[in-house]
Amino acid sequence: MTASELQPVRTDDGLASQGARQTSRATLLAFVVPAVAIFVLFTLYPVLRTIWNSTQTLGPMGNGTFVGLQNFEEILFRDKTFWKAVSNTAIFTIVGTIADVAGGLLLALCLYAGAPMSRTLRVIWFTPVLMSYVVVGIIWTWLYDYDWGLINHILRWIGLGALEQSWLGDPNTALWAVLVTHLWKWLGFNMIICLAALSALPKEVLGAAELDACGWWAKLVYVITPMLWPTLLNLTVLSFIGKMMMFDLVWIMTGGGPLWATETVSTYVYKRAFNWNTFNLGYPSAIAVLWSGMIIAFVLLMMRLFRQRERLEF
Amino acid sequence: MISCRNIVVAAAFAALAATGSVAKAEDVTLTVWSHEADEPAKVALREQAARNLEAKHPGLTVKITWYEKDGLNSALRTALPSGQGPDVFYVEPDQVEYITNGLIAPLDDLVNWNNIYDWARAVWTHDGKTWALPEEAYTDELYYNKDMLAKLGAKLPDNAQFSQADFLELVKKARAADITPIAAGVGDRPYPGAYVLAEALLRKLGTDDYGKLLHGQLSFEDPRVVGVFKWVKELVDAGAYPKNFMTLKLGESHHYFYQKPGALTFPMGSFYSGRAFVPVDQGGQAADFPLGIMQFPAMDGAACNECKTVAVGASFAVNAASKHKELAAEYLNELATPEMGKRWIETVYLQTAVKTGDIQFSGPYAAYFTELMDRQKGAKYFTGMPVDVLTGACKDAFVQVMNKAFPGGLMSVDEAVKAMNEGCYKG
Repeated sequence: MTASELQPVRTDDGLASQGARQTSRATLLAFVVPAVAIFVLFTLYPVLRTIWNSTQTLGPMGNGTFVGLQNFEEILFRDKTFWKAVSNTAIFTIVGTIADVAGGLLLALCLYAGAPMSRTLRVIWFTPVLMSYVVVGIIWTWLYDYDWGLINHILRWIGLGALEQSWLGDPNTALWAVLVTHLWKWLGFNMIICLAALSALPKEVLGAAELDACGWWAKLVYVITPMLWPTLLNLTVLSFIGKMMMFDLVWIMTGGGPLWATETVSTYVYKRAFNWNTFNLGYPSAIAVLWSGMIIAFVLLMMRLFRQRERLEF
Repeated sequence: MISCRNIVVAAAFAALAATGSVAKAEDVTLTVWSHEADEPAKVALREQAARNLEAKHPGLTVKITWYEKDGLNSALRTALPSGQGPDVFYVEPDQVEYITNGLIAPLDDLVNWNNIYDWARAVWTHDGKTWALPEEAYTDELYYNKDMLAKLGAKLPDNAQFSQADFLELVKKARAADITPIAAGVGDRPYPGAYVLAEALLRKLGTDDYGKLLHGQLSFEDPRVVGVFKWVKELVDAGAYPKNFMTLKLGESHHYFYQKPGALTFPMGSFYSGRAFVPVDQGGQAADFPLGIMQFPAMDGAACNECKTVAVGASFAVNAASKHKELAAEYLNELATPEMGKRWIETVYLQTAVKTGDIQFSGPYAAYFTELMDRQKGAKYFTGMPVDVLTGACKDAFVQVMNKAFPGGLMSVDEAVKAMNEGCYKG
């Protein structure tokens, strides 16, 4: 674009360039103000209000009592359920993120390598992404059922009846069972993103690697993966943030049980806010503020660790 | 030529037209927000009460907005604190926050309480005032399959109540015969797993001490409480509950009891009928299903083996910010006439807090209601299910421990007692 193209345009009714600039500013405001207003009303104000609430013991009419950092002190030093929820969320996030991204990449490579029936496989693997958490949760709750669930049926059928479990009813397996369900739902999404990135790789680079007699493993490790690195980092950060806020699937499948074995920070906040028969939103607000801070801190840490700040696009 | 008088008359008509029609004395819209949109019998009753009130007050419109429970509660949480919301709304007894925060109006002088049972009114009485009109009521019952009981060679005692030892023996017999002794599941509800334990605690302790236990004034380490936990643990270890207890949902547990695979007993609120008394293809029990009702087992050394839990469900409150409190109360009175109470039982198939006088039951479920009423004879009631009475960490402990983990076989008696004490005991 040249400098002349940026000059104000003289209009048909003879307005000078100054007038055109004024119109432009008004137009600009017309576009910006609604967006800013929506942001202020529905994002900034709720965030600020939540931070304020976290320092209060609240009644429903807004008649809060200022308690300073007391809620945070209670959460950090005396609330065992909170730390159980943090532990579960951490396991879910770390294991889930690694499995999500690595699994998605493997599926994408499988399709990229031209596996048989790749079109069908792509549809099958992507279909769970289109389902709501409610549907996915109900389907997998049935699959995990002790008596009539498919998983225990298969175990009995292949002679491994001793391994049958109440998958969602045992504190030792419940979190992993939910995690597998979550992976099943989201692998297809990561696969599609990785596949798109693979398809966009420069053919000449891959061709040059083949000319150098580079084997598929070496090509994957030394050529493809480095070029996919920005995509994988973005997926990692997005997956990480999503899992730190995990609520829907856990709520539908286990409600945080048994014995808080699948309680996540989000389900705990919800319970404290709405299931404890109290209107006091101060304490759950404090958990939400604390957890948001932790998520931001972890994301910043990840960006620093990966040293790829300028290439992240989430 | 248009005269000044004509202009004045025309202006007056124009002004009237601009402000709408001439207002009647009672040109009012009474707004009601109700849960249970998916229960046609209840919808019909509440709409009928609205039409009855409209007929008594020309110009009055009663507008009922139907919700599901979560949607209703979310809407109320937003509307009430801002001084808005409907004139009348659906509440349940665990929602005491509406009282403590001054969001609903006391109804002592507004509602005709002669039509409501005293025990039901007591549920909504706090600090000497009554805050909502109870409509629905139910008791905790132990349903059983008469044919299966006979098959096991057992006979129900004349008072319909096994001793705790006999009940344990029955559970072992059933399990040996490959019959699930107690159909229950906690996949989607915070209470079905605790029926047997809670009712046993109530009988063992009596209403006063049981109330103290739930309110944190009696330790779960009390020997009587520990004794009851030990007995329930014996039931659990004997295989009383289904293996898919942890994931079985409420609807599925009904199906489990009266269809497939079948179970000997089914502890449930008497709202059992809401799911069971519908056509089989909609998940109901077969017309010839041999349904019986027994009392929960008698506990050794019990304070009150005739005690049972009664609970109030659907209730209606008047918004403290309503400008039409008297009309709102009149709507509540329309819900609570003896005729409406009778119609409730006959169409909703459930008990009600509304006095109905002596009813001769008729129809396909007459035998059921007769037996249900027999099981109430001589009963001493404790009002409120634990999940409704408890709050905060104690409620959470109840849901996780007494409802799920303990009957699910995941905890020892000591662990369960300790966890409950940590959540509930204030001593």
